[in-house]
Amino acid sequence: MFDYLSPMIFLPILAGAALMVLPVGAAMARTTGLAVSIICFALGAGLFARFEGTGALEFVTRIPWVPEFGINYVVGIDGISLMILMLIAVLFPLAYLLLWNHDKRGFWAGMLIAQGAMVGTVAAADLVLFYVFWEVMLLPIFFMIGLYGGAGRIAATIKITVYTMAGSLLMLLGILALAVAHQEQFGSWSFAMADLLRVDLAAGTAVWVFAAFVIAFAIKIPLFPLHTWLPDAYTEAPTGATFVLSAIMAKLGVFAVARYVLPLFPEQFVNYAFALCVLALIGMIWCGVIAIRQPDIKRMLAYSSASHLGMIAVGVFAMNLQSVTGSVFQIVAHAMATGVLFLMVGLLEERMGTREISALGGIAKKAPVYATMFAIAMLASCGLPGTNGFIGEFLIILGALKYNVALGVVAATSVLVGVSYMLWMYQRVIFEKTNDLTEGFRDLNMRELLGIAPVILLIILMGVYPQPFLSKIEPTVEVYLEQIKSPVALAELADDPQGGAQ
Amino acid sequence: MITDNLMMLAPAAWIIIIATSYQVYSARATISPTINTAITNVTLLVAAILQYINLGGVYSYGTSGGLFNGMLIADSFNGYMGLLIIISGLLASCGAFSYWKSNDFHRAEFNAIWLYAISGMLLLTMAGELITIFVTLEIMSLSVYILVGFNRNSLRSNEALFKYLMLGAFAGAFFVMGSALVYGSTGSTILSQVSAALAEQSLAEMPLLAGGMMLILVALLFKVAAFPLHAWSPDVYEGAPMPVTALMSTGVKIASFAMLMRLFLGTFIEYQDIWSMPLAAIAVLTMAAGNLLAMGQDNVKRMLAASGIVHTGYLLIGAAAMVPGNSAAPAMLFYLVAYALSALGIFACLSFLTGTGERRIRFEDFNGLARAHPVTAALMSLFLLSFVGFPPTMGFFGKLYLFTAAVENGFAWLAVVGIISSVVSVYYYLRLIVAMYFREAAEDFSVQVLPQTYLAAALCGVALIWGGIGSFTLVIFPGATSLLEAARVAVSSLF
Repeated sequence: MFDYLSPMIFLPILAGAALMVLPVGAAMARTTGLAVSIICFALGAGLFARFEGTGALEFVTRIPWVPEFGINYVVGIDGISLMILMLIAVLFPLAYLLLWNHDKRGFWAGMLIAQGAMVGTVAAADLVLFYVFWEVMLLPIFFMIGLYGGAGRIAATIKITVYTMAGSLLMLLGILALAVAHQEQFGSWSFAMADLLRVDLAAGTAVWVFAAFVIAFAIKIPLFPLHTWLPDAYTEAPTGATFVLSAIMAKLGVFAVARYVLPLFPEQFVNYAFALCVLALIGMIWCGVIAIRQPDIKRMLAYSSASHLGMIAVGVFAMNLQSVTGSVFQIVAHAMATGVLFLMVGLLEERMGTREISALGGIAKKAPVYATMFAIAMLASCGLPGTNGFIGEFLIILGALKYNVALGVVAATSVLVGVSYMLWMYQRVIFEKTNDLTEGFRDLNMRELLGIAPVILLIILMGVYPQPFLSKIEPTVEVYLEQIKSPVALAELADDPQGGAQ
Repeated sequence: MITDNLMMLAPAAWIIIIATSYQVYSARATISPTINTAITNVTLLVAAILQYINLGGVYSYGTSGGLFNGMLIADSFNGYMGLLIIISGLLASCGAFSYWKSNDFHRAEFNAIWLYAISGMLLLTMAGELITIFVTLEIMSLSVYILVGFNRNSLRSNEALFKYLMLGAFAGAFFVMGSALVYGSTGSTILSQVSAALAEQSLAEMPLLAGGMMLILVALLFKVAAFPLHAWSPDVYEGAPMPVTALMSTGVKIASFAMLMRLFLGTFIEYQDIWSMPLAAIAVLTMAAGNLLAMGQDNVKRMLAASGIVHTGYLLIGAAAMVPGNSAAPAMLFYLVAYALSALGIFACLSFLTGTGERRIRFEDFNGLARAHPVTAALMSLFLLSFVGFPPTMGFFGKLYLFTAAVENGFAWLAVVGIISSVVSVYYYLRLIVAMYFREAAEDFSVQVLPQTYLAAALCGVALIWGGIGSFTLVIFPGATSLLEAARVAVSSLF
């Protein structure tokens, strides 16, 4: 079978590396970026069309890497990773159109490397390979924030790097513990996900290894109370890096929980899911309330993004078919909405030179197309019926209610927080009277519209007709949930007699 | 026969012959520093080739080839370590090309003594008898003392020399005392006979043995700069000329670790329960002390010295966990290569960046380097990331193997400490990257650099990437296709 995944990983990375080394101009750099991302989109489309949705890994490629230690280059995708892969493939070319005016070669190199590394993280089926990509995707973000960020960029880079490296090194330790246990139990080294699933850790060790993984991913999501790096990083980062961080990289944390923690540690997952749910809910409300008070749109969106990720995390931790499917769907939906919002705020900043909510106003009169697009993305982010955000949130809340009624009620209620800050911000920025500054606001041009319109259409399409997407996700989620349907899990899920399967 | 395996001495003999004749010649003629360094490099290159030929031939036939009735050992372990030492000396010497462009205290003896130091290290890896170990250890140390104090007009250099000499003399005395106790307990100074005696007798019959082992350990811990004998390292590294710092942080460390492994994995393995836990505790304290020191430094060279202490700590994790046949010792050899390449690369860059009298050495002196010298900044970042253990550099795999070995041998807590130490180290390595890339330069960055130095740094960079992505597929021993396999073959000759 044709290997779609490897070119999707290495073409952007090699192109990015070439851009860093070769003395080409910024125009050449962004053309390269767009071209490479379109090629990746085409590859992704081919992959999507040929994906069968069996629930198992498809498109598997395996190349030995360090045979002595059983480390292999193994990539493959299942229903969950397919969604995120497609998200990267679709959003990047569009984002490039909106970031078009960025005139630094290094910025485009960074975007390309981030794209390739994220595809690698999604597709990796060997834990060392996963770890490598997981770390590599931090590098371009580090340099993009540090080189092209705002005034407080240096503190923000140090914070995000030390935070995430601490998490990922913990995870490395967890990976080592699993591999050593595999060696002891089966007599051979392996870091392949499929092999490590068979490892039976002693209960005492398993909790620690589970904690190592969960903390690493919780930092990336970020889960309350490990979220403090996020506002600084999102606000100080250049728009492109904020887009990468919020739209995709944060989701990889949730994805990794579903892909690795759930199958590897079903027992611990069931035991601690409730506590993690509560943390996710606290984060959701906490960040939502902070978002209301923010004077800076980008910072507000940063907190809003953290708040929504709390919701997505609740879906994964509630571990039934509806909630996990909803989470995966919401990952896609939220990435589109937040991605567009951050990119549009980037345009706003580029044109107005400020992000202060109080300095803006009346943009709807000057730029009706911008205002409409902004409204649709914002409403999708709030979960308005008819947008894809509704389907995702609805499924998550449904699943949360099945898991625990109280949690479900709190989750459903706290959605209101999101609605309140979003609408209030929209009112102050887009409506009200124009002032001297916003008088000169220029509406979207064709290039920008070309970048935004497909995402907006997709937001509505997925909201009205979600079935094709759900049907690709569900079989994989069922396979994952099989793992935790052990007797222990069923006992824990007492208020859900069907075990959450149907 | 006493002449068996004499070929194994060829690299060391060659270096000593060249060094001596060269010293005699240079007393009469004046040669420019560049020519001097070139001669040194050619000498070392020939030695490396000789060593490599040895590895392919004699080493593959047998591992128990002793010379001079066991005074020297020629096995695959010293083959591997010797090659690494010669290459370290070669790459460190490449930095000297540029260093002498901006510094003027070069005299021809520098290169002769440089070669003597390397021959001492080579012989140390071969030494199979306690007195020989002491003699070779001193050949190495005395040469390095002179190199450290080579800038006679610099107070710092003199201070460094004095500190290193006094403490080093103590360490040497510890070694001799330890050897005496071991000899008294076992009746022999030849390592193979010591092992045999240890296997026959019980510990109750040798009350002084544990003391002897510990005294020898103290001497070796001083050489590798482990806690609590690490405090000299920032001062001495700072005072030494940059190429010498490079040699000390790699060659001396590699040779001392070679001896530590030969003695404790080979000879004293019977009494592992005596030395294993102390080594583990020292590893933890070394990492903690090194990290604390490194975080407080404002001088990049001192920071690198302190970070070298931390890397000693990582290697000691492996040393505490090493058992014949397990993966800890090969992981140490792999890690030594990864560490040496990063250190040699970064010191090669520093040898021309720091300018006359090494004045550009504080963190803020590196502000804005990336704009003036993008390639150098990129290389330095690569070396720093490999120090951190960032994938996919070779440093990552070094740590992966080392920590895996620790977990595998019941030292999971050491691996946890190692991970915490890595997280802490992110701070000070990152600080230099942040300075180079994200801050504005205060003065313009004109440097005098020769292509040889760039070549050395670039070679280190390529090797680090190759060691990460390509897992260093290099045939060092016949049949061992990667560095890790070669390390395994090398270690297998110890027991």
